Amino acid sequence: MNLLLASTGSYPRIGDSAELQILRRTFAAADRGEKTAADLADAENAMTRLAIEEQARAGLDVITDGQTRWYDPISHLAKKLSGVRIDGLLRFFDTNSYFRQPVLTARPERHRALVADEFRFACNALGTLATPTGKAGKLKVKAVLTGPYTLAKFSLAEYPEMSALEARVQAYATALATELHALADAGAERIQVDEPAILKYPEDWQVFVQGLGTLLRTRDGLKQKGKQIEICLCVYFHDAGALYEKLVALPVDVLSLDFTYNPKLAELVASAGSPKPLGLGLVDGRNTRLEDVGAIARQVEKLLPKITGGLAYLGTSCGLEYLPRDRAQLKLELLGEIRAAAGL
Amino acid sequence: MSRAKLEKLGVKLPLFPTTSVGSLPRPDYLVQARADLKKGMLGAAELRELEKKATAFWIAKQDELGIDVLVDGEQYRGDMVAYFSEHWPGFTRSGLVRSYGNRYYHKPIVTSEVNWPGPTTVEWWQYAQGLTKKPVKGMLTGPYTMMDWSFNEHYSDRRATCLAFAGVLRKEVEALIAAGCKIIQLDEPALSVRPEELPVALEAMEAVTSGLDAYFITHACYGAFEHIYPKMLELAVDNFDLEMSNGDMRLLELFRTHKFTKDISFGVLDVHSHLLEDGSKVRQRIKQALSIIPQEQVWIDPDCGLKTRSVDEAIDKLRACVEAAQAFRN
Repeated sequence: MNLLLASTGSYPRIGDSAELQILRRTFAAADRGEKTAADLADAENAMTRLAIEEQARAGLDVITDGQTRWYDPISHLAKKLSGVRIDGLLRFFDTNSYFRQPVLTARPERHRALVADEFRFACNALGTLATPTGKAGKLKVKAVLTGPYTLAKFSLAEYPEMSALEARVQAYATALATELHALADAGAERIQVDEPAILKYPEDWQVFVQGLGTLLRTRDGLKQKGKQIEICLCVYFHDAGALYEKLVALPVDVLSLDFTYNPKLAELVASAGSPKPLGLGLVDGRNTRLEDVGAIARQVEKLLPKITGGLAYLGTSCGLEYLPRDRAQLKLELLGEIRAAAGL
Repeated sequence: MSRAKLEKLGVKLPLFPTTSVGSLPRPDYLVQARADLKKGMLGAAELRELEKKATAFWIAKQDELGIDVLVDGEQYRGDMVAYFSEHWPGFTRSGLVRSYGNRYYHKPIVTSEVNWPGPTTVEWWQYAQGLTKKPVKGMLTGPYTMMDWSFNEHYSDRRATCLAFAGVLRKEVEALIAAGCKIIQLDEPALSVRPEELPVALEAMEAVTSGLDAYFITHACYGAFEHIYPKMLELAVDNFDLEMSNGDMRLLELFRTHKFTKDISFGVLDVHSHLLEDGSKVRQRIKQALSIIPQEQVWIDPDCGLKTRSVDEAIDKLRACVEAAQAFRN
């Protein structure tokens, strides 16, 4: 059995020391006209490097760029598409953080990279770090995309042809499929597709599946061309229990779950089993309380034998941006302690 | 019905009372003073004098503009949850957490039982009320939002945390009422975040306000109200202060499906835009409100607190509220 430690996406972009506040200060200075776009890019690069370094130092096997450059999970992608205007603020699920809502003024289309350049940067940044013990050739960078359904669900349409949810999902899926090609060209092997909205709106299941299907067909096409990419479907911010059987039956490569909304989800998953690797979001990415290592290790021990192939990714329930940096670091360290306590 | 309650409390308001949601921008000298305090270049007493000066400025400005129900502008507060966590035992301050854009705050951590140490906001309310003959709102953060926007390392679950806050807030409400406050706002922007927990929010607010002699307002914004409407109308308050403009008035469609039974403080101005909406646009928004909600129930204000705007922008937006209300009164 194999338990890898994986990031679930975002990482704090600030800390309490002056060095860790460079991004905030640069943004504020840019607002005053005292810094340029290039200065901002430098600050984002610096915080991205730190996010990568801290994940690697915590012993993770699969890291991300920390999504340090993302204004929010919706507008970061949508704003790079043509046919999209970015509008007012809305709360992002049950968090005290906000996203800017896209308004589709035409069919959204991709004409430039969404995250492929950021993925390249992360790979290069990782390459400049000393390889952690035992990780030579094994440490992987995972790209993250918000999925077509969640993007579409949180977008409005002024363009009549995009007024139906199905049309918006397909338009976003087409744009994201092109991005998958770009990511594959950049060397990405693991791509996390975040679809938190489907847990909250299960009535949209068919539309959600159609959008995901476009990405999965693209993955299959890339495989035929010799480019192996894994799609990890990641759902969080709601109880996945009711949808688990349908989610795990989807032809994704990995299914990543948030276990914090339902104390019985681990039991349910252990009982139903999984035919594919799971992302085990057993450590709460939203609360500072540090979990009991033994209790989580016991859950892992129950779950792993029920996963066909015995491969799972242990992580936090969601990205770590919702925690202060010191606690985010402790949560990552906890992952390693849990793995050790589970004897893996 | 709520208007009768206000009159019973001795508060007589015109049609379309104008108010603001709570926070108002800090003048530059206060921003500088807070920075100086952090650097040790200014003492706490000196800062407090400047906070009082800024509060007096905003009370005078609201009076001058013709606002009907005033706020103290929260010149002495930072984040709406963190402020209370800094005054109430039971909290530890966390490191910085991002809210959105380039905004970060210290999200409180509940690390032990939360207690009421005595009046927290009463002195500021008395100070502000002493500067005007118009009613000044008592401003608190509701129990559900206090819970949802804090980390919890002490209580067993979210309901227990929420009810603990409710107990503390009730004491603060009682203290405000004892000081003479007639209108008290308990902000609940987190109200809609977990629709399945609405019963907890309702239970907690009931625990805060039931049987107490004041007119209660709650402010909620940036939420998915479609998941909690109309059940949210059971919240134990008299007035819902709602962000209507940022959402392009889409909430009104909900109100068509089920009668809006409480008073409403109707947000007619987007607080996240530097631009001042044209007067005709503001009047159009009020007209839309009146197509669904009886005029006796409608108050007029901006969508949310104005602290992110400049002083001049905030004044312009408040003036636009007053002008729009006057146009409809006439």
